[in-house]
Amino acid sequence: MEVRFTLNGREVSCSLVGSELLLDVLRGPLGHRGTKEGCGKGECGACTVQVDGHPFNACLLPAAEVEGRAVTTIEGLAPAPGELSPEQQAFVEAGGIQCGFCTPGMIMASKALLDADPDPADADIRHALVGNLCRCTGYAQIIESVRRAAALRGEGS
Amino acid sequence: MHPLPYHRPTSLEAALELKASLPGARFIAGGTDVMVRLKGGAPRPSALISLRGIAELTRSEVAQSARLGAAASVADLLAIDALREGWPVLADAMNQMASPQIRSSATLGGNLCNAAPCADSAPALLVHGARVVLRGPQGERVLALEEFFAEPGVTRMGADELLMSIDVDPPEPGLQTTFLKKKRVAMDIAIASVAAGLVMNDGICTHVRFAAGSVAPVPMRLPATEAALCGHPPTDARIAEARRIAEEEVSPITDIRGGADYRRRIIGVYVERATRALAARFEGSE
Ligand SMILES: Cc1cc2nc3c(=O)[nH]c(=O)nc-3n(C[C@H](O)[C@H](O)[C@H](O)COP(=O)(O)OP(=O)(O)OC[C@H]3O[C@@H](n4cnc5c(N)ncnc54)[C@H](O)[C@@H]3O)c2cc1C
Ligand code: FES
Ligand code: FES
Repeated sequence: MEVRFTLNGREVSCSLVGSELLLDVLRGPLGHRGTKEGCGKGECGACTVQVDGHPFNACLLPAAEVEGRAVTTIEGLAPAPGELSPEQQAFVEAGGIQCGFCTPGMIMASKALLDADPDPADADIRHALVGNLCRCTGYAQIIESVRRAAALRGEGS
Repeated sequence: MHPLPYHRPTSLEAALELKASLPGARFIAGGTDVMVRLKGGAPRPSALISLRGIAELTRSEVAQSARLGAAASVADLLAIDALREGWPVLADAMNQMASPQIRSSATLGGNLCNAAPCADSAPALLVHGARVVLRGPQGERVLALEEFFAEPGVTRMGADELLMSIDVDPPEPGLQTTFLKKKRVAMDIAIASVAAGLVMNDGICTHVRFAAGSVAPVPMRLPATEAALCGHPPTDARIAEARRIAEEEVSPITDIRGGADYRRRIIGVYVERATRALAARFEGSE
């Protein structure tokens, strides 16, 4: 079975035996290792990607389900090599990153929130990030990073 | 995880034929229960049959009444304005399920077919008297949601059947509802939960519904608790009586999330809190 989809704006295809998970296909044959595997069971959010704009745990999503859809991973955010997206810039500036393992998932979940709601209240940010665990920062800086990302995105538009 | 054969039919007929022709195969909708269980070492089905490509199962119709597609994602259902406005208690319960990532995948049908005592959508649907529409080789049949759950993890759906839709009638005129869920951290399944619905006329409770989760083998209505309030004004004495009956009516177990006694106490407290909060919404409006 062959699955075809758009990965960060580029058409890709991959052959599948059956129920392979999107996370394994991304990190394996497609060579995109930015998306992380933490728990592997929907609890930590390290594997968060966007599918048609919505946040999904790639660790639970069979790759066959993204046929014909648009998948965005952390590698797809930077506008050009050496540059950062507003969300990435904000996490750097506001100290939302320490070891960095949770960061791709945090940023993808934050981006999905901001795509739907450009000016979220703190309660909305917390609600949007309940599925993302961070063992380092203590979350305060992450909430601040998302606020900062909202501001940077506002300036850019 | 070693991949399993994966089928993605695009019609109901094809899905039912596949199920009949592949012994040991399992349906998968959002996969948030199926995949976690497989990764946890549960017995492997012979194949997975995805329901997400079947338009008849992902479509919902919401107007005066609602027909919710069993394979519609919780996120897609929450995006329907008329559903949030007409049945806010269901929207509230779905909005408290897991995380945005899980809600993008998870389906209402999967939540019910999984038949966990803690299925968050169940108490709200029970309060609204929801029905489930099943489809098998023999055709369609409809069950009250109360009849659907048999025991933890087991429904009264046949092995050759699938869940097509969840049907909900228009809310009773004036109905006020609420959902209370006890959990430890933001993303947690319920230690105990109560959904409640109330209509009051001239200071009397004329329609009372309580349903509870995580306090019995299956999500359940609390008919004796309802009867204690129905036809009466919600006085302190009546509410205390309803609370006492609710604590007796449930049959919780002790597990990793909480003790049986603690769960009984929460149900009592929630019945009281819900009744007072809902009764207060009728004050001044009469
Ligand atoms: C991290 C995490 C947090 C969670 N938090 C919550 C929570 O807060 N509250 C809560 O209630 N649940 C929670 N869950 C459980 C789960 O997400 C829900 O039960 C979800 O609604 C299941 O839906 P699904 O579509 O993913 O089901 P699936 O995993 O696809 O299927 C579940 C079961 O139902 C069967 N099935 C599915 N659809 C049909 C159908 N139409 N006809 C026949 N059989 C069918 C499948 O064969 C399987 O046995 C959580 C899960 C995870 C991983
Ligand atoms: S790796 Fe997917 S949620 Fe943890
Ligand atoms: S920065 Fe280390 S887990 Fe979040």
